Amino acid sequence: MLSRVADTLYWMSRYVERAEDITRILTVNFHSLLDAKVQDSEDAWRPIIAITGDEPLFTNNFEEYNAKTVSEFLLWHPENPSAVTTCIRLARENARCVREQISSEMWEHVNRLYFLVRDLKREVAARGPYEFFDQIRQGSQAFQGITNETMAHGEAYEFIQLGKHLERADKTVRIIDVKYGAVNVLSDGPEVSLQLIAMLRSCSAFEAFRKQASHLNSTRVAEFLLFSQEFPRAVSYCLQRALRSVNLIFGDVPTQRHLRSPQRALGRICSELGYLEINDVLDQNMHPYLDKLLSGLNELGVEISKTYFNTQVIAPSFQTSQQSQQQ
Amino acid sequence: MSEPVSTTRSSLMHSYEVSDFFDEMFSRGVEPRPHYQQLYNRLIDMTVEAFNERRGNADVSFLYQGITFTVYGQQQAEGIERIFPFDLIPRIIPAAEWSLLEKGLIQRVTALNKFIFDIYHEQRILKDKIIPPDLIFGAKHFRREMMGVNVPKNVYVHITGTDLVRDDQGSYFVLEDNLRSPSGVSYMLENRQAMKRTFATLFQSYGVRAIEHYPQELLSTLRSVAPRENPDPTVVLLTPGIYNSAYFEHAFLARQMGIEIVEGRDLVAHQNRVYTRTTKGLQPVDVIYRRIDDESLDPLSFSSESMLGCAGLFNAWRAGNVTIANAVGTGVADDKAVYSYVPKMIRYYLSEDPILDNVPTYLAMHDKEREYILSNLNKLVVKSVNESGGYGMLIGPQASKAELELFTDLIRANPRNFIAQPIVRLSRHPTYLDGRLHGCHIDLRPYILCGEKVSIVPGGLTRVALRSGSLVVNSSQGGGSKDTWVLNE
Repeated sequence: MLSRVADTLYWMSRYVERAEDITRILTVNFHSLLDAKVQDSEDAWRPIIAITGDEPLFTNNFEEYNAKTVSEFLLWHPENPSAVTTCIRLARENARCVREQISSEMWEHVNRLYFLVRDLKREVAARGPYEFFDQIRQGSQAFQGITNETMAHGEAYEFIQLGKHLERADKTVRIIDVKYGAVNVLSDGPEVSLQLIAMLRSCSAFEAFRKQASHLNSTRVAEFLLFSQEFPRAVSYCLQRALRSVNLIFGDVPTQRHLRSPQRALGRICSELGYLEINDVLDQNMHPYLDKLLSGLNELGVEISKTYFNTQVIAPSFQTSQQSQQQ
Repeated sequence: MSEPVSTTRSSLMHSYEVSDFFDEMFSRGVEPRPHYQQLYNRLIDMTVEAFNERRGNADVSFLYQGITFTVYGQQQAEGIERIFPFDLIPRIIPAAEWSLLEKGLIQRVTALNKFIFDIYHEQRILKDKIIPPDLIFGAKHFRREMMGVNVPKNVYVHITGTDLVRDDQGSYFVLEDNLRSPSGVSYMLENRQAMKRTFATLFQSYGVRAIEHYPQELLSTLRSVAPRENPDPTVVLLTPGIYNSAYFEHAFLARQMGIEIVEGRDLVAHQNRVYTRTTKGLQPVDVIYRRIDDESLDPLSFSSESMLGCAGLFNAWRAGNVTIANAVGTGVADDKAVYSYVPKMIRYYLSEDPILDNVPTYLAMHDKEREYILSNLNKLVVKSVNESGGYGMLIGPQASKAELELFTDLIRANPRNFIAQPIVRLSRHPTYLDGRLHGCHIDLRPYILCGEKVSIVPGGLTRVALRSGSLVVNSSQGGGSKDTWVLNE
């Protein structure tokens, strides 16, 4: 498949996923505010911006952290490249570039989502944010479902899956990082439970967590969100799926020595996650570990882009490599 | 069944006027023509509300499917997407009428291909003084680079979109041949889908010839002209990219044909072969269905500023390693001045009489004809020979004094660049505008495919001028389109 097309599909998928993730994080925070102890204050909203990693950009544009400024920033601020509306516009723009690669149903759906967001009056969304959030979340989930059901599960599909799972893993790691830090400064009490529930809900994980662990504490929650092999938003699960996509994209290789760099980078991360226990992570402290994991994911992104999407002029060794590729 | 058109019921047909233009649906006595009778019966019973509901459904599905064209120039970075207006009243062509058109179009395209071959080889038609040489060598789209190069099966124009019009007697004329990269065929296909959804029963009972196989025919045509008779060639569609106003069509056709749509930056030429850059390395390409113009194809051979093409493409083509469809340099034959010689080409190359007539055309480059043009400017349509899309045109009777003066100067300064034609009183067709049907002017663009053989899917794109009284049907000038039904019998 064309490098440009693979690139575009991958980003289309990441943007759809990003729009959903940010929307969910916002929704959960709005819900938490309803509990009396949480104030509409900097403490309640700064972590949300910390998750997206856009604090400098935020403070450049807004004076204080509150429900209004943060949701304004995350939903439609023109200078925020990860604003939900921007993500949906870019997802649709990418889809438009590869209109012929995706199914008509996918295109119609992403188009519908785009028109929904574009034509929405901000005042209306501000009055009933939940309905608006729900539409985005459902729109994104439906998009993934439609993708699954209407598109051939070939190389193009795997690039979409790769984008989705890497974006999701990235967001889950960030949510754990910020929320876990917030929980740890609290003394035991109902406040801790509320924070943990919010952390799980930010990953749609509350019900799934409840089904397999009755005891709600920060260690179990972190363990679940990092290591679960069954829950679709757990870091481990996402990266295993991403690895599967990368392997399918390359096809079989005769030995491990023939692996390409994204396979190696991702395989290393997956192995480490697979053999670690939560206590190993806690021993070296959560934040430094997650930081390392995030930079590993960033490097992986660079390797993927170099290997599949690189549209640089061919190097002088072109001729020999050309012949081998044609065989 | 001979109800008068000005029925008192509040139907769509209320106070429809048949003027002295040729009306496709009604004969002079305001009787529906036999092949329109069934449609007429359906419309006369239909309320405006019922019709509007169907119209709304069709519009929404067009928007969600992204069947839009983009208008740029305003302040939005995203551009404005408009639905290409679609009119639900189909245009109907009886079988016998179509079969004549089909013969005429095949004859014309055959002669045009022979002409282009001749121009880029021996130039017999110039030596035999049928066409003045300076007309050809002065043509903007004449490409010296093409001299002496052979193309597979001697086909230069693989896809033609010929614009046909009817005058007030109902006779068909060729208005122009689009031999570079004619667009609009996706609207033809999508209009049909919309009609099938909204008027299923009527469609079924009418016996309309299918057009859905067009993409397959196009692919077969492209495959049949692959270099060296390659039985399993790789075909790609080369687009300028998503910001091109016809991008929807490019993507649509590529998807329907199951071929890759590529941009210039996806291609790389090396040692006279063209490849695509893929996730698994470079893959060779055999046939390029290009939707970019000659100048943009290859910065090494043509415009060095082009970012849309692929450096080295033209040499790969000259080496016979890749086919470009349509070939480079076909524009020499759709120059509007050269157009006036097509009937002579048909006689010269095929020794046949032309089946389809040209619109009478005066060339400003000939002294006598120029004088005629200049003294009758307010009665003629003046066209610049290389413009399309309704640009660079003067419609004499509607022009202001200043415009007439401007064109007088332009014609005197560069006579080769202008032709003039009498105003064709284009036929009209009932079309929905502001709550009822009006007679609006239409034309017809059939798409002719030429490879191993020449084939035409029945019908084509009927374009309609959606401004009352307007004679310009181009989409960029506020035109719309209709489904075109060619009947089985």
